[in-house]
Amino acid sequence: MNGNDQIMINPTRSGLLHRIAGVADRGTWLPVGVFVALVAIFSFASPAFFTWRNFAATTGEAATLLIASLGATFVILMGSIDLSVGAVVLLVGTTTVAGLKLFQGADLGPLTIPFGAFLGAALGAFNGAIIVFGRIPSFVVTLGSLSVFTGIALSILAGATIMFDSPFFDVLSLRQTIPHLPNIALWALLLWLISIFVGARTRFGRFVMLIGGGEQVARTAGIPVDRYKIYGFTVSGLTAGLAGIFAMSRLGAVGPSLGGDLLLNTLGAIVVGGTSLAGGAGGVQRTFIGVAIITVLSNGLNLVGVGPYWQLVIKGFVVIGAVLVSQDRIANLIVK
Amino acid sequence: MTPMASEANPGSELLAVSRLAKSYGPIRILHDVSLNVPTRSIVGLVGENGAGKTTLFNILTGLARPDGGAMLYRGRPYAPRSYGEAFSLGVSRVFQEQSLILNVPVYENMALSQERRFTRFGQFVDRGAMIRVAEAIVEEAGLDVDVRRNAGAYDFSRRQAIEIARACLAPKHLMGIEDPLVLLDEPTSALDQQDETAFLDLLARMKRHASFVFVSHRLTEVRAICDSIVVMKDGRISGLLTPVEADEKTLHGLMVGRERAEDYYHTDEQRDVSGEPVTYRVRELSSTEFSGISFEVRAGEVLGIGGLLDSGKAALGKAVAGVRPAKSGTVTLASGAPQRPSIRRLVREGLGYVPAERLVEGIVPGFSLAMNLSLPSADKYSPYGIWRTDLEKSAARDAVQQFGIRSGSPAIPMRNLSGGNQQKVVLARWLQRDLRMLVLDNPTRGVDAGAKEEIYQHIRKLTAQGVGVILITDELAELIGLANRILIMQRGAVVAEIPAPPAGKPTEHDLIPHMLPSTRAA
Repeated sequence: MNGNDQIMINPTRSGLLHRIAGVADRGTWLPVGVFVALVAIFSFASPAFFTWRNFAATTGEAATLLIASLGATFVILMGSIDLSVGAVVLLVGTTTVAGLKLFQGADLGPLTIPFGAFLGAALGAFNGAIIVFGRIPSFVVTLGSLSVFTGIALSILAGATIMFDSPFFDVLSLRQTIPHLPNIALWALLLWLISIFVGARTRFGRFVMLIGGGEQVARTAGIPVDRYKIYGFTVSGLTAGLAGIFAMSRLGAVGPSLGGDLLLNTLGAIVVGGTSLAGGAGGVQRTFIGVAIITVLSNGLNLVGVGPYWQLVIKGFVVIGAVLVSQDRIANLIVK
Repeated sequence: MTPMASEANPGSELLAVSRLAKSYGPIRILHDVSLNVPTRSIVGLVGENGAGKTTLFNILTGLARPDGGAMLYRGRPYAPRSYGEAFSLGVSRVFQEQSLILNVPVYENMALSQERRFTRFGQFVDRGAMIRVAEAIVEEAGLDVDVRRNAGAYDFSRRQAIEIARACLAPKHLMGIEDPLVLLDEPTSALDQQDETAFLDLLARMKRHASFVFVSHRLTEVRAICDSIVVMKDGRISGLLTPVEADEKTLHGLMVGRERAEDYYHTDEQRDVSGEPVTYRVRELSSTEFSGISFEVRAGEVLGIGGLLDSGKAALGKAVAGVRPAKSGTVTLASGAPQRPSIRRLVREGLGYVPAERLVEGIVPGFSLAMNLSLPSADKYSPYGIWRTDLEKSAARDAVQQFGIRSGSPAIPMRNLSGGNQQKVVLARWLQRDLRMLVLDNPTRGVDAGAKEEIYQHIRKLTAQGVGVILITDELAELIGLANRILIMQRGAVVAEIPAPPAGKPTEHDLIPHMLPSTRAA
């Protein structure tokens, strides 16, 4: 079974039941099962877990991760990888907050969103251009830019945490238009839905999938592979930039540790959701459940009292395990 | 040391294969294949491409595992798990592509993979012993070869003789295995008449030392040399004949499943293009693998390009289509401006390209038929960035109908289709565009006989519409049958241009001398 449930439903089947059966391969239901099991276990283990209060906290947490993972999913679908997502979040957050401090008089709140999106996209395009024109593996380039972006951000921050206060950001992220659901989660859902549409119904989404499924085939058919690779990294930077704005607005501060956990968490969410690291199989629709699993895992372990260091160990194993489980799908792709 | 030093008796069964079955995914490659190879005999194995000969050889040499059936070799169950295991039991294979290492002396080639037998004190290689064994092999085979010279010093046909001698005699001299089994995979396809005769002589001599399964497309030589002939079709044994029974017509019938159409290549539809305008003009195209190539293709013409595997014809095909960059030179499509070929621009202007390596360059096996079909046509399916999956699906349905793609539907994953049907999708991909020029690299490789003829029909239909075609192929019959004109390449240059009008088609023997280097070692 392959991950492209959207495209690969057997057309000879019809009707809702068959349609559900068509998507019911392991790749789809395994993560859902894991999520349900985690929720059940943590509800049992900690009285604080299954509460509205914790729901609001985790959805806020999950929202940032989801936004940051959307573009990175496209990169992984292309068969590349973007390790610089967390660093882009930090750099965008830092420059934005520094800008806000600089022009303290004016109310620049709403402008931060296009600013963050643009800066993030520019950083992503920078990654993509080096990968394509330098013919360097994305792994190496984004590892380098991870260090570059982090270094610039930390030198701006000079080790300090910058706090700020703005009513706009409260409305943007923290207010609960729907009770118990912070607005940031609504934005994340909206961006997720847009990304699903982009993945399934646009030329960009199609080419990204083709590049991951068979780059050589795409080139041989005259598809502008290099251009779309740059687009892919640009989109990854763009969503990371937006995630930076939303993260800072939710926290009301930017410090050196912003985005630090996103390197593992974005990759974890994407592969746990069922997108193949080899590219060409999976999709942004799956990343949602991956984000839910990673967030519930962190949150639950916290509440149960597992220390942050052991959390790193567990999360690391979960990510490796997810890749192991998805391995046979990759093998399927390669065998014939 | 050797697990099997037993000596088989002439006439007894060396190998008995019974009811072998093999599938790749849903596609059955072999059904119920049974055959026997008596000791010291030559069994001819003939069949169209895609009949399952290669898969059978892969199973016999441990490169593939059967799903069912059994094999007995020297009376014992035989199920090799690797080529090394098969080789250690005395089963070896001579490929179409030669496997000698050119920059190494012949004697080292003879001892290849058996070096440890010449290792002394764990580290030192006893070259003297190696040379003595190699000389013994060469002498027994009756070859005039200095084993101290590099393999590259000998020409293609001589290297092939060395390889056969190695396969037949090295097991005895190195491992003490008498009567090995040697699988010959189209060894003669690149030989001219004189070398072919020499090759068949060698084979007749070697029959005293080994048994052979001999795959060839040349039915005359199969009938001349083989003790029995096995015919395969669509993964089954369709006939078992003696050379006397096997006249060409009977063999064709068994291979293709029907009397071969009088005009398999539809030569009667070949157009006289002398009055047609030039559609594609290639000027002084050069890369690392070829240089200074110029030619023109007229509307409705099929220009064939032939040559050996290392002639540069495959690289030229890629460059002409703009898939691989050329160092210098230009191409001109229709009335456009001369340009350095780039597939992206050329596709926009009406060129299509069918690559040779279908699974690597042609299709994405995990994606649906519809996605594979629409691949180069983003301009059609997403004119404004939104992908019209509805259009894509209906176009796929039409193509399934029009091209007779068996078990095809828009959403079926490509890997579930047979090679022939996959290739029809690749072809259909281009035919739904406004085509002016089509570059085909081995368009019927791994394609069954039925699909093959349909592909030929489509090529003829295209030329009738005025599309120019460049056909690069390793199959000489196809090259001759389809082309209006044939360019022969050698070492990156065009060395001959041979007209092939319907009334005066050249024969394979007319072409082969041009394909081989003229300076031969004596």
